[in-house]
Amino acid sequence: MSFELKSTHWPLLALALRSADTQRLMQDWQQRYGDAAGFFDQDALLLDFSALSDSEPALADLSALLALLRAAHLQPVAYRGGSAAVRQQAAAAGLARADDALDAVQALTASATSTTLEPTPSTPTPAPERLAVGALLIDRPLRSGQQVYARGRDLIVTAMVNPGAEVVADGHIHIYAPLRGKAIAGARGDENACIFATCLEAELLSIAGTYRTSEVPLPPEVRSKAARVRLQRHNDAERLLIEAIA
Amino acid sequence: MSKIVVVTSGKGGVGKTTTSASFAAGLALKGFKTVVIDFDVGLRNLDLIMGCERRVVYDFINVIHQEANLNQALIKDKQCEGLYVLAASQTRDKDALSEEGVERVLNDLAGMGFDYIVCDSPAGIEAGALMAMHYADEALVVTNPEVSSVRDSDRILGMLSSKTRRAIEGREAIKEHLLITRYNPNRVQEGQMLSLQDIQDILRIPLIGVIPESETVLQASNQGLPAVHMQGTEVSEAYKDVIERFLGQERPLRFVDAQKPSLLKRLFGR
Repeated sequence: MSFELKSTHWPLLALALRSADTQRLMQDWQQRYGDAAGFFDQDALLLDFSALSDSEPALADLSALLALLRAAHLQPVAYRGGSAAVRQQAAAAGLARADDALDAVQALTASATSTTLEPTPSTPTPAPERLAVGALLIDRPLRSGQQVYARGRDLIVTAMVNPGAEVVADGHIHIYAPLRGKAIAGARGDENACIFATCLEAELLSIAGTYRTSEVPLPPEVRSKAARVRLQRHNDAERLLIEAIA
Repeated sequence: MSKIVVVTSGKGGVGKTTTSASFAAGLALKGFKTVVIDFDVGLRNLDLIMGCERRVVYDFINVIHQEANLNQALIKDKQCEGLYVLAASQTRDKDALSEEGVERVLNDLAGMGFDYIVCDSPAGIEAGALMAMHYADEALVVTNPEVSSVRDSDRILGMLSSKTRRAIEGREAIKEHLLITRYNPNRVQEGQMLSLQDIQDILRIPLIGVIPESETVLQASNQGLPAVHMQGTEVSEAYKDVIERFLGQERPLRFVDAQKPSLLKRLFGR
């Protein structure tokens, strides 16, 4: 046989629409990501219509919205949810139906309680695999000026990250050595991402966009010690919480 | 089979050319046929430090562009048997270097039976520095005990492990050696300068030696003599230790402890 068809998993970005007003969607998009040229890199995108009304008529200008997203280097490939009219419109625009697409957190809970999804008759039964992709493991020291980006997954570095080096991950960052450079976790917005280091001396720490420089020195309980950094919501504001790991 | 050793740093003015001259001379004194090449096109200094600036007729760029051959360009050193200098061009700039040209010259030198080819890198991370390190087998990373020098050396180490031929072709990594220069133990003790341990904690590569800060270096360059020839001075002894360690011998680190000046010195100053 010259080919093989098998089940595969890949993390997608999901754009959850909270309004059916495509003009407003495009305006808000321009405002938020208009200046960020090169932020996306042909990432696959799922359009999530679940928050829209069940009786929503077809969207006013879906093709213009899709064109805008493509211009920002995203690739809309699938949709889920939405009224019958919206779904038909999305299918006509060439998007695949992805109603059983789970959010990352939901997916892990589902596999933990071992509920199985009913496979539709036309698709082959997926083999039981881990949903999350394995972490990127780096064993060499990162020197000043070097950058590593773990796209769509966690990052583990077992050697030092020097001042001037940058480690970036969409998931968690673990450094089993002195972290003296910049660490940026949850790079595409995952607020649950954390940064772990066995010796925390970072120049900059960031989780999902909330960051802290070394201008204000780290408290002595965590400076140069094993520590964990996570994002904490506190009265509508977000801040980085840094705790020593016992 | 000749070994190519690059003397690099990132930061300018830390002692690359001084080191290239003394390192190459030291190897020649040990009986190895050695050539030292100046990669700082347009700002050449190696010929001044080696004392052969009046004998430069053809240079490295002439050889790369096949306007002259190696026999015409190589300058035989007057102090050491077996030591040759290939000067850089003063009228051109780094764009005159090409990877193929540099490779051809290095292969030709190997063919002439040189045991060691020392490449004196310019400062920075541009074409000249990249070209000097590209074909290296070993590297001396020259660092001053001062924060900006250490940061720049770290950057250079990153490039040695990613932008050189050995890194690109996935071969055995370049052997990196840390050479700390202009070390002043008294200032380290006073906390004004980084200590050996501080520097090693950041750079984490094997230390090949420490050259103390000394007026000897300036005297040597004024005379056009590599510092290793200034017999009896601390700098000369320190460079000789570096050569021994490079060749596999153990030598204890000298000139790294703060000296308490003698009573006489303290009474009468200096």
